[in-house]
Amino acid sequence: MPTVTDVVCPLCGCLCDDIRVEVEGNAVKKVRGACAVGRAKILGHGRLKSPLLREGDELKECSYEEAIKRAAEILAAARRPLLYGWSCTVCETHKVGILLAEVLGGVIDNTASVCHGPTVQAVQGVGLPTCTLGEVKNRADLVIFWGANPVEAHGNHMRRYSYLTKGWFRPEGKKDRKLVVVDVRESRTARMADIFIRVEPNKDYLVLAALRAIVNGFADVVPESVGGVPKERLVELAEMMKTAQFGIIFFGMGLTQSRYKHNNIEQAISLVRDLYAFTKFAIMPMRGHYNVTGFNQVCTWQTGFPFAVDLARGYAWYNPGETAANDVLSRKECDAALIVASDPAAHFPAECVKHLAKIPLVVIDPYPSPTTEIADVVIPSAVCGVEAEGTAYRMDKVPLRLRKLVETEFLTDEEILERLLDEVLKIKGLQ
Amino acid sequence: MAELLIKNGIVFDPINGVKGEKMDICIKDGKVVESVSSEARVIDASGCIVMPGGVDAHTHVAGGKVNAGRLLRPEDGRKGLEPRTGVCRACSGYSVPNTFATGYRYAKMGYTFLMEPAMPPLKARHMHEELMDTPIVDKAGMPLLDNNWMTLQYAKSGDVEKLAAYIAWMINATKGYGVKIVNPGGTEAWGWRKNCGLEDPVPYFDVTPAEIIKALAEANERLSLPHSIHLHANRLGQPGNYETTLKTYDLVKGTKPSRKRQVMHATHVQFHSYGGTNWGNFESKADEIAKYVDQHEHVTIDLGAVMLGDTTTMTADGPMEYNLYLLTGRKWTNCDVELETGSGITPFLYSGKVAVNTIQWAIGMELALLVKDPWKVVLTTDHPNGGPFITYPILISLLMSRKRREEVMKEVHSVINERALLPTIERELDWYEVAVMTRGTPAKILGLHEHGKGHLGVGADADVAIYEISPEETDAGKIQKALLNAKYTIKGGEVVVKDGEVVAVPEGRTFYVDVRYEDEAVWKEMLSDLEKMFKEYYTVSLANYPVQDDYVPKPYVIKAGAAE
Amino acid sequence: MQTITLGIKEKVFEGVARVPVELDGVTPDALCGKSADEIKELKVWWGNRQEKLGDLFDVGVEGSAEKPDDVKIVCKGDFASVKRVGEGMKAGEIIVESDVGMHCGAMMSGGRILVKGNAGCWAGREMRGGELIIEGDADDYLGAAYRGEMTGMTGGRIVVKGSAGDYVGYLCSGGEIVIEGAVGILAGLGMKGGRIVIGGDAEAPGGEMTGGTLVVKGKVVDMLPSFRFEGEEEVEGVKLKKYAGDLAMGKKAKGVLYAP
Repeated sequence: MPTVTDVVCPLCGCLCDDIRVEVEGNAVKKVRGACAVGRAKILGHGRLKSPLLREGDELKECSYEEAIKRAAEILAAARRPLLYGWSCTVCETHKVGILLAEVLGGVIDNTASVCHGPTVQAVQGVGLPTCTLGEVKNRADLVIFWGANPVEAHGNHMRRYSYLTKGWFRPEGKKDRKLVVVDVRESRTARMADIFIRVEPNKDYLVLAALRAIVNGFADVVPESVGGVPKERLVELAEMMKTAQFGIIFFGMGLTQSRYKHNNIEQAISLVRDLYAFTKFAIMPMRGHYNVTGFNQVCTWQTGFPFAVDLARGYAWYNPGETAANDVLSRKECDAALIVASDPAAHFPAECVKHLAKIPLVVIDPYPSPTTEIADVVIPSAVCGVEAEGTAYRMDKVPLRLRKLVETEFLTDEEILERLLDEVLKIKGLQ
Repeated sequence: MAELLIKNGIVFDPINGVKGEKMDICIKDGKVVESVSSEARVIDASGCIVMPGGVDAHTHVAGGKVNAGRLLRPEDGRKGLEPRTGVCRACSGYSVPNTFATGYRYAKMGYTFLMEPAMPPLKARHMHEELMDTPIVDKAGMPLLDNNWMTLQYAKSGDVEKLAAYIAWMINATKGYGVKIVNPGGTEAWGWRKNCGLEDPVPYFDVTPAEIIKALAEANERLSLPHSIHLHANRLGQPGNYETTLKTYDLVKGTKPSRKRQVMHATHVQFHSYGGTNWGNFESKADEIAKYVDQHEHVTIDLGAVMLGDTTTMTADGPMEYNLYLLTGRKWTNCDVELETGSGITPFLYSGKVAVNTIQWAIGMELALLVKDPWKVVLTTDHPNGGPFITYPILISLLMSRKRREEVMKEVHSVINERALLPTIERELDWYEVAVMTRGTPAKILGLHEHGKGHLGVGADADVAIYEISPEETDAGKIQKALLNAKYTIKGGEVVVKDGEVVAVPEGRTFYVDVRYEDEAVWKEMLSDLEKMFKEYYTVSLANYPVQDDYVPKPYVIKAGAAE
Repeated sequence: MQTITLGIKEKVFEGVARVPVELDGVTPDALCGKSADEIKELKVWWGNRQEKLGDLFDVGVEGSAEKPDDVKIVCKGDFASVKRVGEGMKAGEIIVESDVGMHCGAMMSGGRILVKGNAGCWAGREMRGGELIIEGDADDYLGAAYRGEMTGMTGGRIVVKGSAGDYVGYLCSGGEIVIEGAVGILAGLGMKGGRIVIGGDAEAPGGEMTGGTLVVKGKVVDMLPSFRFEGEEEVEGVKLKKYAGDLAMGKKAKGVLYAP
């Protein structure tokens, strides 16, 4: 059976690129080296079979041409269209999507606004001392996961990049490192830790403030207990951080989506920055979808801003809290939406989903989902990284090229968007 | 493609010895030709200055670090907003413009070639993605090859052959142009929050920056690359660093050039020309640097001039950016790249009220004016480090007008009269010298003049800038205005700017070097070392590392080494 | 005295969506001395299209004025989805008789805005001078900085009769904000100067502050562990504890926080 080696996994922000896939008769038969979720994604599952158009309560099969034409009419007529999703597709698609948003005068946003958007906002406040994952692999002797649970969410992270792996200066792998987990519950990752610090829910900001005060020489003002953590444990952790040779904090949505959101991240980043008075440290978000990072990159170099970009006036206005998907949905600002490679109906607050259901909705995705259920136009696409090539950025912003393993009848989302753009330009008399 | 005839302009084409002569330029199929038919479109350039398209030899415009700068600074992004037009995409940014604005604004200034000087090899694909989205101009990028663990090991063992083989592999894998060096050894030391002086051993690798530089220069010439090593020396931005700078230049005095050019291009030298021992007695040593450059043939420089105002500093020199952050307390980004390099970014305001900034502002211009031979100096601001590229017209007008310099010197910190040299300098550049420093010299230093860049001789690329100004004009304001918005910019024979507006947006080409190393035995040994690096220490596989052709849709390939 | 009334038309409310109208550029400075017909011809953004002001608002003009100081704009009808009211205004007066949308009084440097209802997020963003009075509640980012900037409000005065949301006075370096009711999280976040007075409760006030004065008269939830207690003082007739901080920021922290 022919085996494709060095396949890049299109599942999570780890972008493991050592996957071996056996292909036979234009079908993926076996996947080796991926975590269970990654394997399932590459093996494939229930797909949308045909483009669909809503007629009353029903979605009826139609041709790509009909679906794309209808989608173009909806979007071209809109006064404030929302273009959202983008994290499970490649950068080549993002580029067409951003151009479409510009032509439409729409608001373009990706799933970062509901996962690591706060991280981006924090970076814009204080910066980000970070590194690529290989720096951790080769140098780190102190690995901290804060509000993150890689054992369950990023299956190969510890093996390939962070804790279990061996590196140039850490030839013994985990024996050469200390693992600290800070979380509100004892996760499976926490059970592996040398030190587990349990923080009361929503108190991370306070704990981080206390750690910074300690690191900056003001331990005396810190009360005996902060966020459920005894002061002596915080002093001990601060000491570990200061005396590490190379420390890293990986943080997840436990930190970005709990109370104080981006301020948690600002404090964590500032803590790392403060630690440079003593030693080498870095911090990195555990990005979820495989190319959520890529969208932020493309959107930044093309518009100047990473997500939540309002192009209504033909230039960019960036203001999360006003211009992110949930903002324009919850305030009922948008009058049509295009969702690409994402399922907001399953993840957004009810009031937002309710508005999404009320307005004309176009969805481009390989899979049926709660979002396709409420759509007016559904356009099936190829699965990037299995049926289509393209660029994706790993959580540490290392770009890799996804491979095409099998042929498909489906158009890629890039092709669909290009056709959609052509139709929109025709309607607007620009072509 | 249509023919063009540029009539009656005053032409400055230094590489061909044309110093302000009234002559016509004929263009056909994207190239300069002897003559055109009567069908040719005529551009009346009477009363205008005509030059080859500008060549920026050192400008941070694309890649992971530049984008991290954009992401860091939405407040800079909102400074340069321009709406989408029928021709142009939406623009944003001032010191960190989006890729579209970068292409348009350079084209408006009459520039047609950009060298991105700091590509982390692991993120080469990212730089190429951004270059693809940088319209109009041609461009290239240089991989950082000095802190790489392979380089450190080969430099330590003195194995120039394997180092040359490795460089060849990396330049090909990254579709890069030349060998970039940034704080050699210091950036690896920054992996442990340390730094390295020129003679300090790199932690754990037991090789000194001086040894790294020498080995890379030798390897560069062994491969006969179009460009020499391109060096950001150690101790950037530190008081008293000029001595390190001169010692660094001396390191390669004996290196034999493989082509008719320098063996070391020292970049953003303003940041390396500092005297004094601390910020309190900080002073200009531009005269010492200029003297050395004039007396030696093996070194060329670019300015890295400072223009007063707010900007974003960014470099692969991680420790330097951290120190700058400590000075300002503003936000700071750092990104170390495994086995290869690092980077840092922090915003910075160069203020004429601050003594040190004022001296820095003076030094950049002093270098341009004190080095006697303009063929050794390239005009840059090390965009955006000394100032955004959009300030070039201001810089040029200052260099051309002593009157304007004196006006500004009255406004800035009085320290300029004590610890800078600018007040004592009378020289004013003329248009020919400006053309040398922005066209001829950068093209020659990069080896691009052999590939149609930086001149208007027959066979050259039809990249032309036409500025609506008389060569006799001395008014600095008028000079600045004419240079900011060219009357015409022609790129590859196509009019892309007319009356200061972008009228066409062709894709530019990406130049890269295809270099072969011919000794198979050495090549195999190097490959086996490299495979081990990937297998054990990199976090991407060797197979996924090289940049695919998809990322260079409009290539221009220059062959070098055994491939030549 | 020139009084200009803008009555929002029904057509703005048609359909399921509430696409915001943006009124930047419609300030006393810009309208001073203009006739009703001239004002109706002004273009404003409604979503991705520009419309004539007169197509979206009933415009009335009474009297005339020589200078913007003598111009009053009265906004009638529901302005809850109208953004950027009074953005960048330098003089004169704007009265909003209802709620108002985001960015009301953003970047204003003079004049006075009175909002009789609630104000959306970023009211008084990057304010440089003038006065902004909100009789109802203010949402998040009152008197705050724009993302990435070093400073927010630098001058002027904001008064809120009701409560305010999160991040009141984010990166404030001058001016005064007075809120009679409670606020959300991190009032005075990163503030460097100026004065913020909160009549009601606050959560984690003064986070990362390095200067200025922040007074909380109500209850504090999540008092930060990085402030130094410096004794008790009477502030505006209330006995409060005085803290110095935020020491998470290290030695440069010179902020003063008063809290019960």
